[in-house]
Amino acid sequence: MKSATTLKISISGARGIIGDSLTPQLAAALAQAFGTYVGGGPVLVGRDARSSGIMLAEAVVSGLLAVGCRPVDVGILPIPSFLYLTKEVRAAGGIAVTASHNPREWNGLKFISRRGLYLTPQQTEEYLDIYHQGAFDFVAAGKFRTIEVLPRAADAHLRRLLNRFDGEAIRRRRIRVVLDCNNGAGAVLGPRFLRELGCDVVPLACDPTGEFVHPSEPTPENIAGVCRAVKTARADIGFVQDADADRLAIIDERGRPLGEEMTLVWAASRVLEKTKGSIVCNMSSTRALDDLAARHGVKIFRTRIGEVNVVEKVLAARPRAVIGGEGNGGVIDPEIHPCRDSFAAMGHVLDALAAGHKPVSALAGALPRYVLLKDRIEGSAERAHRLIRVLRKLYEDKGTVNLLDGLKVDFPDHWIHLRPSNTEPVIRVLAEAKTEIRARRALAALRGEIAAAWRKI
Amino acid sequence: MLKIGLSGVRGVVGPSMPPTMVMDFASAFGAFIDRKPVVVGRDTRIHSPMLRAACVSALLSSGCDVLDLGVCPTPLLQKAVRRRKAGGGVSITAGHNDVSWNALAFIGPDGSPLNPFQGEEVLDYYHLGRFERAAVDHLGRLIPVPTAETADFYFKELGAFIEAAAVRAARFRVVIDACAGAGAPFLARFADTLGFDLIPLNDEPNGFFPHDPEPRPRNAAQCASVVRAAGAEAGFLLNSDAGRVSLVSETAEALSEEYTFPLVADSVLARCSGPVVTNNSTSRMIEDVARARRCPLIRTRVGPAPIFLALAQEDGILAGEGSGGVAVPAFQPAFDAFLTMGLVLETMAKTGQRLSALVDRLPRYHIVKEKVYCPASRIHGVISEIARMFRGRDVDTGDGIRVEDKQGWVQVRASGTEPMLRVVAEDRSRERAREKVDEILRSLERMIP
Repeated sequence: MKSATTLKISISGARGIIGDSLTPQLAAALAQAFGTYVGGGPVLVGRDARSSGIMLAEAVVSGLLAVGCRPVDVGILPIPSFLYLTKEVRAAGGIAVTASHNPREWNGLKFISRRGLYLTPQQTEEYLDIYHQGAFDFVAAGKFRTIEVLPRAADAHLRRLLNRFDGEAIRRRRIRVVLDCNNGAGAVLGPRFLRELGCDVVPLACDPTGEFVHPSEPTPENIAGVCRAVKTARADIGFVQDADADRLAIIDERGRPLGEEMTLVWAASRVLEKTKGSIVCNMSSTRALDDLAARHGVKIFRTRIGEVNVVEKVLAARPRAVIGGEGNGGVIDPEIHPCRDSFAAMGHVLDALAAGHKPVSALAGALPRYVLLKDRIEGSAERAHRLIRVLRKLYEDKGTVNLLDGLKVDFPDHWIHLRPSNTEPVIRVLAEAKTEIRARRALAALRGEIAAAWRKI
Repeated sequence: MLKIGLSGVRGVVGPSMPPTMVMDFASAFGAFIDRKPVVVGRDTRIHSPMLRAACVSALLSSGCDVLDLGVCPTPLLQKAVRRRKAGGGVSITAGHNDVSWNALAFIGPDGSPLNPFQGEEVLDYYHLGRFERAAVDHLGRLIPVPTAETADFYFKELGAFIEAAAVRAARFRVVIDACAGAGAPFLARFADTLGFDLIPLNDEPNGFFPHDPEPRPRNAAQCASVVRAAGAEAGFLLNSDAGRVSLVSETAEALSEEYTFPLVADSVLARCSGPVVTNNSTSRMIEDVARARRCPLIRTRVGPAPIFLALAQEDGILAGEGSGGVAVPAFQPAFDAFLTMGLVLETMAKTGQRLSALVDRLPRYHIVKEKVYCPASRIHGVISEIARMFRGRDVDTGDGIRVEDKQGWVQVRASGTEPMLRVVAEDRSRERAREKVDEILRSLERMIP
């Protein structure tokens, strides 16, 4: 949160703490606003695996019914499957009950347009106006619609995925995969998808109970247990999904995490080998993607942080984007659907593995690689902006300054980035270079400048 | 339109009854229940799933496990509350109200509607408006209960309570009109339990009511014509949650719903004796029946809360109201149409008498009921003015006004469910009953422009 409140209603939906700020009443009222905004019709209602999901899904269903919508209950579903399905079944929209990687006491609602995309800032504003004004289109008793239950809702996405990835090539390799769903929504589809591709799956935490085995963000420090399992299982590769299965982390055959940054690099590399087109990523994503773009002679577009921004550019980029995503392990394959999709990421990585006849460590070693260091400083968005005003002057004649989102400065052999977080009252500080020593030095220098600037303001 | 009462909240679905309000009530009930499990069931109205979802969500958030019965008649739900030792129940049904209405009916841990003290407590939580919310580790769990399980338990008990063998031997042919309500899916099971030949009517539980779901002669035309055509021994008309029932005799006469209670009472009181409870709008027939069986009769205000409170306090053995609801606490403290139908069939079987003959044995009174629109703000004043019309007489002001004479009584009271005044008179002569009501209607016309 930018502020310290436990409730956040913004362009990324509503998020709050169960038992405190996120009540059934609030969820129902937001659903009423959304139902009014889409003007009735079928609206998908799905959830991630969190135990509080049922309570909120019921509230959402009641709100949708009250304004004349026809809720379609799709149960527990990975978020990419949900987004894909919303478009596929021509629903009027969708409401996903999820708090992606937030701790378990959190939950939230995400609002999805008929195109299967998160609402744009404009659309969000329109629907929030309805919410704030309480201008709900309640229907008369005779106008109520029924609830539809859609079983096996992940099947549509599965078919599309299998259609996209060449089953034969992958099947012949009989790849042994450790898959860790962390008991999240990915469990509904992950093991099935990999088995359909002919993989020998070693499932870890694949019950969609929402009881996380490790913290949900698939960062190297959170997935140490999975890394060990990859080694003991003598697997070819390990995959770790986050709670709503839009992000993916990869572990090599020796049990070493590649780092989330590498998921997009690898997927992009594989896609570009087959199809030429633009890359779209956000400003904090690794420079390895620029190297890839140069290697393949394609354009790269960088956007502000936030999936919505990346997706918007993926749809708008010319030449057409063939791959997009974020450095946090979120891969967008527009050929499947313009959203972050850990299954699509797995598909491309396995495809590369099947084609490469080399172990994961060797294939990953051949990819351009940088060291990205991330740090955080306590401070509000407001303070961050004052900092940026001071620091930009300092860097203007030293490197290439970019103010699209916070302050990013590119130097010949490294870059630094400073921006307020969208989700917490902290300032994120990043530095990337070819080597760890260089990156550390860049980060330390930036922190020094910040400390000096701090004193001035 | 909205009525908030001691036994629940009732209203016309739409802007005045949004999900958030349903949630506030369910949250208040959840606070009252204090984290014990709650049984939830609903009737077939097309908006019942909305109320159910809102209610379930709020109860889970209060930390109560929810045992979800799906479509379920209120009496089956009430049995389930006791069997599962739940903290209470919520039945989502507007019973006899027309399709645009719905309601939450709150059931206490003993399986009966909340008594006035419990009802007050729920309302206090509601008005306070601050609801306990369980943290994520203490949220309630949603536990679906298969319909067969609920039905098995209920009908096994019912089969043991009623002399099923006697009914079975009589091989009755019976028409039951479920009005497409919550009773519909259970008709066949009921017929199996008692071994009669069932002709089901409107037994698709789809909520499209073929007529108003109020069991009374006005709505019984279809049932009566099928009784005649099929040569059935009895016809029954249920409301939308199978709490109340009115009768159609083998002569295809649609009987006033006032007959249901005294007819069943006579056979129940023949077996055991004890206090009988009714409300003060119910026909005098019950007074004569109770007197003949030497049982005391207690009259209460209208509404389930006061009736079931009196039943518990006075150790009553029977309760009922003129609307066709009958409760036998030895079976369960609940208005129960299945039990009532069973008792009627049992009486027919054991006495060997036809339904029309059983009705003829009851003392005949004529009851005239009218209702007049009256804005909520005027009700109190209007009733005081009406009371002045009876100056010098013994006027009971417990609930509106009620004045007795030798032949019968007349009553004016505010409806518990609508902004209406109900005017009811009963007399040995139909004309006198009509005259008593008309006299008051004429005065009301002057008072309410």
